[in-house]
Amino acid sequence: MRSEDKTAVLLIRESPGRAPDPSRMRELFGLAQAAGYRVLAEISQRRSRDHLFQIGRGKIEEALSYHPYRLIFYNPLSPGQVYNIQSQFGVRVLDRFNLILEIFSSRASTREAKLQVELARLSYDAPQVRNALSLKKRGEQPGFRGAGAYEESMYHDIRGRMAKIRAELAAREDKGENRRQRRREQGFDLVALAGYTNAGKSTLLNSLTGSAVIARDQPFTTLSPTTRALVVLGRRVLLTDTVGFIDDLPHFLIKAFRSTLSEISEADLVLLVADISDPIELLRRKLIASHKALWDCDVTSPIVTVLNKSDRLDERDAAEKVEMVSDLAPCPVLASAATGQGLGILEECLSQRLEPLPEHEIRLPYTSLGLSQLSRLYQSTDLVAVRYEEELIVRLRGRKEVLARAGLYKSLLE
Amino acid sequence: MVCAAVSARISPSFLERIDSVRLTARQAGSLDINLISDIIIEACIGLPGIIIAESGDLYNLEVWRVKSILGRDFKYPETLAERTAVELAHHISLAGRRLIRCGIEDGKESEKESVME
Repeated sequence: MRSEDKTAVLLIRESPGRAPDPSRMRELFGLAQAAGYRVLAEISQRRSRDHLFQIGRGKIEEALSYHPYRLIFYNPLSPGQVYNIQSQFGVRVLDRFNLILEIFSSRASTREAKLQVELARLSYDAPQVRNALSLKKRGEQPGFRGAGAYEESMYHDIRGRMAKIRAELAAREDKGENRRQRRREQGFDLVALAGYTNAGKSTLLNSLTGSAVIARDQPFTTLSPTTRALVVLGRRVLLTDTVGFIDDLPHFLIKAFRSTLSEISEADLVLLVADISDPIELLRRKLIASHKALWDCDVTSPIVTVLNKSDRLDERDAAEKVEMVSDLAPCPVLASAATGQGLGILEECLSQRLEPLPEHEIRLPYTSLGLSQLSRLYQSTDLVAVRYEEELIVRLRGRKEVLARAGLYKSLLE
Repeated sequence: MVCAAVSARISPSFLERIDSVRLTARQAGSLDINLISDIIIEACIGLPGIIIAESGDLYNLEVWRVKSILGRDFKYPETLAERTAVELAHHISLAGRRLIRCGIEDGKESEKESVME
């Protein structure tokens, strides 16, 4: 299908008890564009949920007058509603969750990302297949044993495939843990970039590390973690860019992406990135969604909030906004990844919030082996002083993992 | 039914200080919203600040409705620290409930023993 034929009309049903929120439609528009759809119209309605179509029949007919390829709903659609709309109006439909999955599956490039997307899709499909099966088995059974082995095996096939993917992802998660351990042994501090989608995490990674990771003004540009090295006031840091969060996601999607999100939960420090140029209600909503996602990831490490895109506001407005989100933004730092403004303060804040490196004094033999160990320590730790006596007496600041790897724990001087 | 009220000072990501913990227990045949709101109000008497509770504990009612039922400032947990505080209160209430049940069962056993004698 050509991209110009991929047209869609966006529909949203707003609850009558709530004030209308135009940011939801803007978010759906951004997601539809990221999935490659050309949006023909945006239709919203304030009403209670329609059991047959989610939104009023008249609104669907209005949407169909644009002759779209698909109708995209912000609200989640039940299997029954999908069936009703497709059979009565003869048009393909998609809800926000499936739209996100479509973006993910089109962008997943690594084996891990592809498995995670497949797991999320199967987790979504499994209860629906079971529901369809129980409906089929209700009432009179046509033919010998009716809806039997084939349908039953379909459900079991899904469960089996899910178990297989989970096992493969668990193995990859172990590999990730080993990789993180190895990096700590090399003296790196691990810092993860987390935050709502399209907050500017990849741009921040690029401007902090001088790399050229793909960064676009659209949601879910990054799916797989990307790591780059950085030296922050003498400390060697590995900065990892991760997939963005989004509001109202089902729990199983977060579970499916656990191996990617473990980069956040296992980091020594999390940089929570938020877009300060958003209106205050939207900024608060995105920060709350980010806190919820961090809670789901079991994050216990310190958090620094980067209020990005501060160049779009004047100083007074920015300070007002920082005050308004002070309850949601731990250690807020105003910065602009695009212009480089505030990055110096961010680096200072980062080095302050990272756990201070403990100081050790160790003895090494004055032999070629001892000298080669000393040379390795120069690379992986911060050497304070070296005294060349009968033995080498080294005073250094570094992670305990570095010393443990070099087998130097026993050489520590009490 | 046991309600634990934890009065705490928080920063966005950490519990800074726990000022007090209060347990309120009540025997109840049902779990309707009026009963739950009564026990929450009783547990929070004299405690300053905003009441925060899990949305499931209050049947996912909208915040404005809970506010009007409780007659106090209220919100559902938003930050990591607020979620940690709510989790802490859940652990305390569960432990309190277990203690009460143990006490009741011990009491029943000692009653049985005295009847046997």
